[in-house]
Amino acid sequence: MREIKLFLGPQHPGMHGNTSVHMYVEGDIIKKSYLLPGMLHRGFEKGMEQRTWINNIALIPRICVVEPDINEMVFAMGVETLAGIEVPERAHYIRMIILELARISIHLMAYGGIGGPTGHYTLMYHAQADRNRILEIFEKITGHRIYHQYIVPGGVRKDLPVGIEDEINEFLDDLASRYLEIRDLGIENPTIRKRLVDHILLPSEVVWELGVTGVGMRSATNKPYDLRKVLPYARYDQIDFEVPMADYSDAECRVDLKLQEVVQCIGIIKQCLAKMPEGPVRAKMDGNALKFRVPKGQVYAAVESSRGEFGYYIVSDGGTKPYRVAVRGASFPQGLLGVEKYLPGTRLDDAALWFDTMGVCSPEIDR
Amino acid sequence: MMNSMNNQALVSELENRFSLLNVDLVSESQVAIDISNNDVHTVLAYLKSLGWKQLSMLTNVDWIEEGKYQLVYIIFNWDNPIYIQVRTKIERENPVFRTVTSVYPGAKYYERDVHEFFGVKFEGNPDSEKQLFLENWDDLPPLRKDFDAKAYSDRKYAKREYTKDFSNKGGKK
Repeated sequence: MREIKLFLGPQHPGMHGNTSVHMYVEGDIIKKSYLLPGMLHRGFEKGMEQRTWINNIALIPRICVVEPDINEMVFAMGVETLAGIEVPERAHYIRMIILELARISIHLMAYGGIGGPTGHYTLMYHAQADRNRILEIFEKITGHRIYHQYIVPGGVRKDLPVGIEDEINEFLDDLASRYLEIRDLGIENPTIRKRLVDHILLPSEVVWELGVTGVGMRSATNKPYDLRKVLPYARYDQIDFEVPMADYSDAECRVDLKLQEVVQCIGIIKQCLAKMPEGPVRAKMDGNALKFRVPKGQVYAAVESSRGEFGYYIVSDGGTKPYRVAVRGASFPQGLLGVEKYLPGTRLDDAALWFDTMGVCSPEIDR
Repeated sequence: MMNSMNNQALVSELENRFSLLNVDLVSESQVAIDISNNDVHTVLAYLKSLGWKQLSMLTNVDWIEEGKYQLVYIIFNWDNPIYIQVRTKIERENPVFRTVTSVYPGAKYYERDVHEFFGVKFEGNPDSEKQLFLENWDDLPPLRKDFDAKAYSDRKYAKREYTKDFSNKGGKK
């Protein structure tokens, strides 16, 4: 059969953002494929070297469009390690609330995303409607819907507004009450199940070879490999939660784990709201913020994002600007090497589902 | 063999086996070691056999005043959670290093990334010299410290001439 060259994306309902896959197909089986990134390359790593530590707070959330808070968190963690800043107790809990709300919103968005390639757009609308309510909560807390610039070195920018706890609780209760309905719409739907069950496998050897982390790793290895458990940051060690895992990683399993994580997130936020102590939310830092200097050093800070380990490697030479910041996008391994080695063999119509369930996010690959 | 080593035990274990140029205990869960070029593969392979199976990142730092590049391999062990930064310095002019894809296959695209932004050639990884992010790049690798982004943009793109006059003329047309 004749081999045909095809492009999937950047304009395609199943593609996630501004990236394209170059593939050779025979019939509808992909024979060879590779990712063509670069359409969203904005030169963040260079840009960060040219801005002061404080100015960078406004720049970094833009690296990952849908989940900006992890960028703020790793940057803050790195700077705090280098400069030896103690974060107030209340700020840790506020950070966890923000990070978990963001995790729910992006899991919902990814879950809605399977509506595109499977032709069930209703799912996407429902998921986005719930995400929108989270964005409204973010707007009340931080003043911004998407790029919050809220988690800063030393704590968070300002305290939670009065009465937001009730609104968060109300939203979480509502989401939890509709959990089965949300499952019914997508993962329990027989036509979607046919596309997911036993398709797009991710064996554990492949996980180790590529360096896949996050849901992909936990679904294949059946171990609680989650940085929140393995290497707790903020105050995750004082929160009671479980890490969903499995030993057979097909597309359905990975989507299922994401939904189970949403349930855990709801529990985490509720515990944070109940346990949160009163007090200051930002460590006192004297002097002119624009002349803030970070002691010399090289540090790697990482958090568990919705797609896996997300980290910054921060180098300071003692100046007012970072000497070098390198970004580890959580989906870099599966997005580049995974597409080259493990997308071939998949059916063409499963390619978009492959991207969705593997959790490929092009902004963090391009940077 | 060794479950739950802390960072000091890990460093003394490495010191017994290899000659470390410098050790930095960054935090309880992070260690940085500087080693010579020829030790990189043996140290990485040894650490991988101890359980540091994941290459979290490979990146490069440009120390322009020293005239050196510093390659940084960040590896992680999920069962004994310590990040290790394995660092080595190479020459800045005509930088060449050997690929580590034989130890960590996942390094393939990280090496391509470092080649594109710093110009480091990785022997043994033929793909590393293909273009990845930057289309038709025709200048110094952009993350080098001597690359001036402003001068590049002035040279590459013409100054835009505005045909409409947006200045305020007191409300009159």
